[in-house]
Amino acid sequence: MTPILAAITGVGSVSPYGPLAGLIPPRTLEPEAITAWPTCGLRRAFLVKPFRPASVVPGLKTRRLDRLSALAMVASSLAIQDAGIDLSQENRSRVAVVFGTGLGCAELTEAFFNSAAAHGWSGTDPSPFPEGLANAPASHVALWHEARGPNVTVGCKGFAGESALIQAASLLRHGQADLAIVLAGDTLTRAVYEWYEAAGQLSPACYNSEPVTDGSGFVPSEGVAALVLEPAGRREVRAYAHFGSGRWSADGEAVETIRQMLGGSVPSVTICAGNGAPCATNRTTALAAEISGTSATIVQAEAAAAGLTDTSALLHLILALSSQPPSGQALLLGTSGENGFAALLLELP
Amino acid sequence: MTDSRKTIVVTGIGVVSPYGIGVDSLQTGMLSGKCCLAPTKDLYPDFVGSTAQISGLPPLQNDGPQFSRSDRLAMVAARDAVGDLDFESSGLRGSGVFMASTVAGLSEIDPEIAEDPAAWYKRGGLARATSYPPARVADGVGEYLGLRGPRCAISAACASSAMAIALAANMLLDGAAPMMLAGGSDALCPFTLSGFNSLQALDPNPCRPFDQNRKGLNLGEGAAVLVLETLERAGARNANVLAVLRGWAMTNDAFHSTAPQTQGKGLADCMRLAMEMAEVSGDDIRYVNAHGTGTPLNDIAETNAYNAAFRERKRPVPVSSTKSYFGHCLGAAGALEAIIAIIAVRCGALLPTLRLTDPIESPSVDWLKGKVLRQEVPLAMSVSAGFGGSNAALIFEHGQFASRRR
Repeated sequence: MTPILAAITGVGSVSPYGPLAGLIPPRTLEPEAITAWPTCGLRRAFLVKPFRPASVVPGLKTRRLDRLSALAMVASSLAIQDAGIDLSQENRSRVAVVFGTGLGCAELTEAFFNSAAAHGWSGTDPSPFPEGLANAPASHVALWHEARGPNVTVGCKGFAGESALIQAASLLRHGQADLAIVLAGDTLTRAVYEWYEAAGQLSPACYNSEPVTDGSGFVPSEGVAALVLEPAGRREVRAYAHFGSGRWSADGEAVETIRQMLGGSVPSVTICAGNGAPCATNRTTALAAEISGTSATIVQAEAAAAGLTDTSALLHLILALSSQPPSGQALLLGTSGENGFAALLLELP
Repeated sequence: MTDSRKTIVVTGIGVVSPYGIGVDSLQTGMLSGKCCLAPTKDLYPDFVGSTAQISGLPPLQNDGPQFSRSDRLAMVAARDAVGDLDFESSGLRGSGVFMASTVAGLSEIDPEIAEDPAAWYKRGGLARATSYPPARVADGVGEYLGLRGPRCAISAACASSAMAIALAANMLLDGAAPMMLAGGSDALCPFTLSGFNSLQALDPNPCRPFDQNRKGLNLGEGAAVLVLETLERAGARNANVLAVLRGWAMTNDAFHSTAPQTQGKGLADCMRLAMEMAEVSGDDIRYVNAHGTGTPLNDIAETNAYNAAFRERKRPVPVSSTKSYFGHCLGAAGALEAIIAIIAVRCGALLPTLRLTDPIESPSVDWLKGKVLRQEVPLAMSVSAGFGGSNAALIFEHGQFASRRR
């Protein structure tokens, strides 16, 4: 039996599926042509369509912020709305923000480098510097919601989303917060996209209008997914899932560790949180099959979420919850490199 | 009597600072009153002011362009922290890594990346860009030492490595790994010099934290890593317990993206929460290693925070900022200063703030200035804050008191 620790009572996202409070209506997405920067021929990715944050969250001001900060503020607001929480009734000093990111505020970091290229290191523009720090999105989420509890931004190769969820649950478990806004995400910029391209990691589907196929590279994506996490039973509300425990390792015995976590049971559903790297999806699926056997449901990674690489887990989780999975024990499973893995145990209603 | 399974202790310390490698060089250098700040223009002609640089890093195995200077500093500090610990019998092999860095691999990236990324990658930037993600510093340490546990990086601006220690302690309580290596690393580079220069936050002279005439901060570089484990585990392997991490807390000002809340409320709350966890009162804290950057806004907010957190004390609390010795090491600062707090409890040595002649008036603070004060320090606190309103506080006790907690 999974030890019930924390309830996921709200979800929100700003992703290629659009800005959404709650679950994401299932639909297949195709990558879109990049127009935000000059490209050598067709280049495609899963993109967040431009929108005005204040049109989704009235009163939200995002001018001069990195786009990742803006997406995080919108996603967190949508998750809180979905959870039905009135933050004015909460003790804000007990509200934590935990944000997982792989690349941080790439857009303003590039703007700062651009300023240095144009004016020299001694003549840079001051505004992109603090707003380009990786913790800027979490800080703006805290500022917008007046969340004065722990404010943590984590990065973790392959598992930034899983790590954010584990750290948030740990804060609740140790009484360091009563409520946590958990986020994970990244945005695409020219330097990021061309980095993947130079490293030979892109799928053929990035270069033509073919459908995305598994195992031959990935299609980069962007967006931020957010969860509201609170101690189980704190409020009489529906929970999408209860988070039990999680383990991740850079180089561990995945099967043995996960079986130990499961305590001899088999999860009713395993959610594969593929994280973008060309071979990762296959390894995750193979590991899921080894753990779950043939009788359990395995929810395959979605390309639009997997393209978020390190931060794919929370969007994968929301997509899996949206697909009406069977109730019971669920395993959110990710892999990275040859032996890295992350496994999160959840209980689905 | 406290549960040894829930008591977090420090059993290893590794440092790379402008004084050299190892905690002994740091301790000896600081106790001698040596200031490591030197003219910035010697290394970076574009900038005025002072910085503290590290020279003479030892060569690393498998070194290459995939490692940034922050990675290298972190690896050397981590190696220093684990010393000659047996990886298998001690449980070190399964340990986790929680590292902080503000700069990480930004030091390796040229401005030309913004104009034509593909061309820059082709010119050799691809390998160097590998070190860009903040998580890379934690991975670098884990790979270098062959550790198999969870690896995580934290970005919370200048409070980052204090938070890395706090979160690593949480992970130990959760049973996530047998031991955790926690700390931070940041290299000096044009990116951060330029950033703080653009914000007009740099003091053209060696900084004067908490002085009425302070003009800003100086940047330094360094890395610090603590080996953390539960007292139960340390006792089982008969480890030398250097210090007990009695309390830790994290808060956010939720006030402004760069400026601290003027009254220091978030920081004061953070200190109170850490004392609550440690089950101690303000009177029990005998030394505070301050964040003390030397910027006008930080130091006044921080002073207000001390006045709020230690208002009930019978006597003012001794406070100093050791950034006056080797500048602000950003993501490494919290861990370096945690180690200086541990030195205080272990040696009974309270380091003064250098160049502090006309301190901010404060009824609750005894500003340490002039010479090193020698006295027993049962408990010391290290305080950190950063852009984005992040605050962290850590409370340490001498390891000799660990036995009564078994």
